[in-house]
Amino acid sequence: MDHAGADPARILIIDDEESILDGCRQALEKNGYSVVTSSNGHEGIGLARSNKPDLAFIDLKMPSCSGMDIIELLSKEMPGIVLIVITGYASIVSAVEAMKKGAYDYLPKPFTPDQIRAVTKRGLDHRFLKIEADRLREEKERMERSFITFVSHEMRSPLVTIMQYFETLKVIADSELSESTRDIIDRCEKRLQSLHDLVDHWLDLSRIEDGSFSEAKVPLVITDIVDRSIEELTPLCQRRELSLESSGKADMPKILGDPESLLRVFTNIIGNATKYTPPGGKITVVMDYDDYYTYVSISDTGEGIPPDKLPFIFEPFYRARGKEERQKGSGLGLTFVRKIMDAHSGKIEVASREGDGTTFTLKFPRLYEI
Amino acid sequence: MDSKRKVLLIDDDKDFLMATKLILEKGGYEVFLAEDGKSGINMAKSVTPDLAIIDMMMETWSEGFNVVSRLRTSETGKQIPLIMLSAVDLEGPYQSFEPPEDLPTVDLVLHKPIKADDLLRYVGNLLR
Repeated sequence: MDHAGADPARILIIDDEESILDGCRQALEKNGYSVVTSSNGHEGIGLARSNKPDLAFIDLKMPSCSGMDIIELLSKEMPGIVLIVITGYASIVSAVEAMKKGAYDYLPKPFTPDQIRAVTKRGLDHRFLKIEADRLREEKERMERSFITFVSHEMRSPLVTIMQYFETLKVIADSELSESTRDIIDRCEKRLQSLHDLVDHWLDLSRIEDGSFSEAKVPLVITDIVDRSIEELTPLCQRRELSLESSGKADMPKILGDPESLLRVFTNIIGNATKYTPPGGKITVVMDYDDYYTYVSISDTGEGIPPDKLPFIFEPFYRARGKEERQKGSGLGLTFVRKIMDAHSGKIEVASREGDGTTFTLKFPRLYEI
Repeated sequence: MDSKRKVLLIDDDKDFLMATKLILEKGGYEVFLAEDGKSGINMAKSVTPDLAIIDMMMETWSEGFNVVSRLRTSETGKQIPLIMLSAVDLEGPYQSFEPPEDLPTVDLVLHKPIKADDLLRYVGNLLR
């Protein structure tokens, strides 16, 4: 047997000539395959559905039903099945057409028992290799997924506990802490917070990548999301002495989006602007639309991004600049933003001039409700 | 004050229990600890706490919800404020964990880690 251990491979033969069916059956059963046959196209399709063969031979020319149609149907309905054309008029044209419709190989009439066995073996080898490859790919994906879940939870819980201990330490040792000890605790807490953010952002990204990110897209007006984001960031801007303003047309059209992830997109970009804009600067959010897109531009009067670094800012852990404490982030913020934009069939563009500032423009396809 | 108010903490992370206990004790509460849902439910019966704080994820992802349901159907549990602790942000769209549809009612959900001031303020408000 070719594929030891498993059940014998199942083979279906559909041909209107009974003598061909008998000949094939004998040739193949001799090799230990389990063979079912039909001399009628429609019955053959039924047998394929109930029997789930690994491989099927189909005569192209039958009175009741076109072999080409059966091939087309079975290749769509049963992905992975190996379809082999039996053709009496071994023209290249019909063979090519059958291959295009999903056949794997063809067998011209007349053929010898050895020929059909050789074609069968090759077809089955192909099928089992493909099954094995699929299985390995699934296994790899599954391992990647559980690795992410494992690491994130195993990292997050100790981190949270350490942060809680620091909190406790401040409470129970309050009066005994010297200025410098308190400063060390503060620094530790900041670094822990960054690590915590990193784990969270990494998790978000992994979830988008592995598909478990369930997008809850609803029709929405982008202005509402931008307003929420601005509300969230206004206190921060006040602390950093930055003005934060938004403007947009009154009748902004709807888009299809997931409100929570879009909120994080804007909070991320406006948050970045606050990091790179010196006190006294200005952050402006402008909303606009045309027939196809809704646009949101976020401009700052910050230091800008050097042109040679611009192409890389969406890459994970890339940092155009920013050695100061307040500029440190997880390094995944813009990567996250771009992924979310991709998930919304949107686009993100960035224009920047060193010394003048940076503008991010987000484009969302307009929603036309039918 | 005649006697201290009693708070029951249920969490499978011993260190987290310890850290939170110290904060609550500093706030003047008597604190009882349970490291799993089952002993938490038993302890609720024996110590009749004035408030309970339950971690959402313990042995399983949603063990906290089971504990809350059990507490809410018990004599003590149905009268006292319950706080659910969560290390994940249930509001976020990226959590692969789906909270059960019939979410048992808690008085408050807090995210780990919790600022000491916040914890004492929330607990104080709920016990007022």
